Amino acid sequence: MGTLARLVDYIRGGGDHSISVPPFDGALRPNERIEQGTIVASAPAPDNLVATPGGIVFSSGRAILACSGAVAGAGITTLQQYPTAVTALAATGDTLAVGLDTGGVSIRGGAHDGRSFASVDERSLNCPVALTFENPGTLIVANGSARHAAGEWKRDLLERGTTGSVWRLDLASGRAALLADGLGFPYGLLPLADGSILVAESWRHRIVRLSRDGRLEPVLRDLAAYPGRLAPCAAGGAWVAMFAPRRRLVEFVLREREYRERMMAEIPSDYWVSPALAPMQSFLEPLQGGTLKVLARLKPWAPSRSYGLIVRLDANYRPVESLHSRGDGTRHGIRSVLETADGLLAASAGANALVLIEHSHGG
Amino acid sequence: MISETLSRWRSRLLPGHIVGEILSKSWIDNAIPFLMLVISVAVLSPKIPDFFAAYSLQDNSRQLGELLLVVLGETVVILAGGIDLSVGAVFAIATFASLGMFNALGWPAWVVPFGALAIGGLIGLVNGLLIGYLRLRAFLTSLVTLIVVRAIFDTLSLEYQIAVSMPTQKSAFWDFLGGGAVSGLPVSLLIAVVLGAIVHVTLTRIRLGWHIQAIGGARRSAYNAGISVGRTVCLTYVLSGMLAAGAGVLYAARLGAASSDTGVGLEVSALTAAVLGGISLGGGRGSVVKGVLGAITVTVIQTSLIRLGLGSGAGSLILGLLLLVAVAIDVKWLKNRLKVLARVYVSPGYLALPKAEHIDERSPYAPNDRLKDVELIGLGEVEGPEDVILDEEGNLYCGSRHGDIIRFFAPDHKRWEVYAHIGGHPLGHAFDREGNLLVCVSGMGLYKITRDREVVKLSDETNRSLLSVIDDSRMRLADDLDIAPDGRIFFSEATIRFDVSEWMIDALEARPNGRIICYDPRTSSTRTIIPKLLFPNGVCMAFDGQSFLFAETVGCRISRYWFDGPRAGQLEVIMPNLPGYPDNINRASDGNYWCAFVGMRAPTFDLALRMPGFRKRMVERVPHDDWMYPNMNFGCVIKFDIEGRVLDCLWDRHGVNHPMITSMREHRGYLYLGGSLNNRIGRLKLGNADPNWTGIGSYWRTA
Repeated sequence: MGTLARLVDYIRGGGDHSISVPPFDGALRPNERIEQGTIVASAPAPDNLVATPGGIVFSSGRAILACSGAVAGAGITTLQQYPTAVTALAATGDTLAVGLDTGGVSIRGGAHDGRSFASVDERSLNCPVALTFENPGTLIVANGSARHAAGEWKRDLLERGTTGSVWRLDLASGRAALLADGLGFPYGLLPLADGSILVAESWRHRIVRLSRDGRLEPVLRDLAAYPGRLAPCAAGGAWVAMFAPRRRLVEFVLREREYRERMMAEIPSDYWVSPALAPMQSFLEPLQGGTLKVLARLKPWAPSRSYGLIVRLDANYRPVESLHSRGDGTRHGIRSVLETADGLLAASAGANALVLIEHSHGG
Repeated sequence: MISETLSRWRSRLLPGHIVGEILSKSWIDNAIPFLMLVISVAVLSPKIPDFFAAYSLQDNSRQLGELLLVVLGETVVILAGGIDLSVGAVFAIATFASLGMFNALGWPAWVVPFGALAIGGLIGLVNGLLIGYLRLRAFLTSLVTLIVVRAIFDTLSLEYQIAVSMPTQKSAFWDFLGGGAVSGLPVSLLIAVVLGAIVHVTLTRIRLGWHIQAIGGARRSAYNAGISVGRTVCLTYVLSGMLAAGAGVLYAARLGAASSDTGVGLEVSALTAAVLGGISLGGGRGSVVKGVLGAITVTVIQTSLIRLGLGSGAGSLILGLLLLVAVAIDVKWLKNRLKVLARVYVSPGYLALPKAEHIDERSPYAPNDRLKDVELIGLGEVEGPEDVILDEEGNLYCGSRHGDIIRFFAPDHKRWEVYAHIGGHPLGHAFDREGNLLVCVSGMGLYKITRDREVVKLSDETNRSLLSVIDDSRMRLADDLDIAPDGRIFFSEATIRFDVSEWMIDALEARPNGRIICYDPRTSSTRTIIPKLLFPNGVCMAFDGQSFLFAETVGCRISRYWFDGPRAGQLEVIMPNLPGYPDNINRASDGNYWCAFVGMRAPTFDLALRMPGFRKRMVERVPHDDWMYPNMNFGCVIKFDIEGRVLDCLWDRHGVNHPMITSMREHRGYLYLGGSLNNRIGRLKLGNADPNWTGIGSYWRTA
């Protein structure tokens, strides 16, 4: 019966073979608020934003950069250069935890300065894509994939990877506990007051709550974009940086094994049919019908590979507000946001800039 | 790769595109009824001994003739959007009246049919007046007529049953009507065939028939178009009544008696036949042929059931079930036909382009920004200038999406006017020796605009190829043209399967659907000279006057064809593997050629071209706007020589100022750029070009 049902699904394009993607509607209704934000700093592909007592710190390629002074009109100084790309950051007090593309997590500053953890429980932290401190001595690590490094995220998506895991790491002893395994690229972490952890599971386009006893409970599913990092929201709830849109063509390709394998084998990853962080730059990238320029205009609703989207969840994890940079915009690929006194700060890989967006909680 | 080899052979051997082409034919509506007929004969004939014996066939066809008459009337009524349930009762009363006139009253045999037809026509007229003029519901009205007429028949036959059944006279004509045959064909069938032919011609060729179909298709629109709806509808009921009465006369002559069950259930048989034949109950769709197919099927089934020994109740039951099935198919087919067609029409083929060369700074195609700052002409004022051309005075001509030729006045091209209105989107342009402007118009063909701005059609039709399912004699997408020194016009038709708005789908299909056509003005003849090309697009006369160059957009190549001289008839691919999609080709002042790349090859699309199954599923599952396309947001202009060497390349790397380039034309040291999806024309000063060179001079002023 199961086989038959799958066959029917395959022929009709239903069930697991359905390529439908939820529309941007309701709380996700498009606007131009990210495009209307101000660029406060420029840096190549800025990524993880964290607040430290000394100001805002973020990663950009191999560097950790710091915004000096107030957010608006900030000067940028380099805190540290690494030999490999920085994939995630977390801060508590003066302590910074740094995830690296070659694998492993290093601690910079604080009581455990200089320590690094390349593997936990004999399993390599090859893809640390999200870090957060539960308390100054305990770090939560999200390892996006057991198979690929963080820079290879497109390959992990196209292989429909579900090898991500979340760990609790005791910095003093180096002991680690596996909290969850078999996740589809856990890309965002947010510790909650009750001791559970909110996890953004990108490839399953959902947000799950990981309770202390190890239970996984989806709190929000069928998202219209791939959720990235999570950030606390002053009004309660959370900010979700949705780093790329789900597109029906990608959903379709995800169900075409032969095409996917040949594409990954024969074509450089920049030109794959896959989500992207930046708007189209090369004529070698794939184009979709609606993305064709007509009368020299790109349509805002174009099914672009990249998009800029930030969603605010309320205390019950329902989406209540969203900020957009649409298909014709450039401030795409927002992997990290941070609420500051001046507004919401977003790191846009598409615009190579930090964007400050005015924001006030209307209630 | 095994699967790739398989899909290559599958694509080559199985003509998948034909399925869609057959489905797009209008005669496909007949396929299902025909299939039903074949099935019912195949199922029933082995069960019945001597099904195909001569006497059996003749007996069947005699009954068929009578049924056919009734079905013909029903067909006409349904076509006009109505329904006539009273045919069975009319049939019965006509039978009774005929017998009465012939037996009881002793009237001459030749009067009888006229009398019966008058009665049938009268009942039809009542129906028609009520339904056509008073706009009563056809179903209820004819149901009431059925009951009333049937009641009259029952009353009369109770009273006069014996009187009408007693033969009082003999008539050769009467016997001939009932049992005669002309060279084996029963009279009733002969009459039905003749009348069927008349009704067919009326429906398809005569104004009244067109009116009937128009009313059935859309009653209100027909009324608004000035058709006298009431009168026409009334007429269909009169016709139906008379045809049913005619069948009654034949029945009376054949059996010589009327019983209480004469004509009972005939309306169901007629309706089943009509609907089974594929005549849509909604009106407006159907034909006589369909009615005939349905009638034959019903007769075969009915007589077979009787001969199988099933009771008459079982026969009606099966007929009723059949009617139900036919109605269901009718509704579903009408609703889903276009959906099915849309699903199966696009039939991607296998196309393995050679690996595209890598473009870097050392490549002859190295990207640059030389087109970034082209001057813009007519920004926001033109839409879709696929091609541009200039006359000797420097006026600039281009086509527009609205079906106009726009002329921008020299010298600054700020002012413009509509030079001529054609109606279709003009694509390629060329000036002939006399200064007439020749254009390829999508969906229309090859047109000429004389110096007096008169629009003249030159050709919209070429020779039809023998094995093509779709009618490829019509031109669907004439694209670009050029003129040989002797006046012959060579032009490309990009695809015979899609319209201009769907040209990207043709690129997605990647089948050799295009061709090069030659129009000879000396004989006014048009013929296809190179068939089966991959979206042939730009055509440009070579400087030798004996050959032309043409680009195949989807095939990513440029070829040269000799139409004259010692190499006449030869074809040579001079640029077999371009990194982009070539569009129009035009002459450059230094003896070389310009070519526009409308888009660039994306490796993901090249891979998809090798996987037709993947593209097919994509077309079926993914909405149109999400389909994978070649990358048409970037393009460039190249200059190449006749050997196929790339000499120069002009880019707008970010595609902001002039995103799509489908054409370019050199004129007095400037290069003018057109783009089929743009709202602007570009103009670029060329550094080292001959400032006096013009296209017209190059073509028509040299020795």
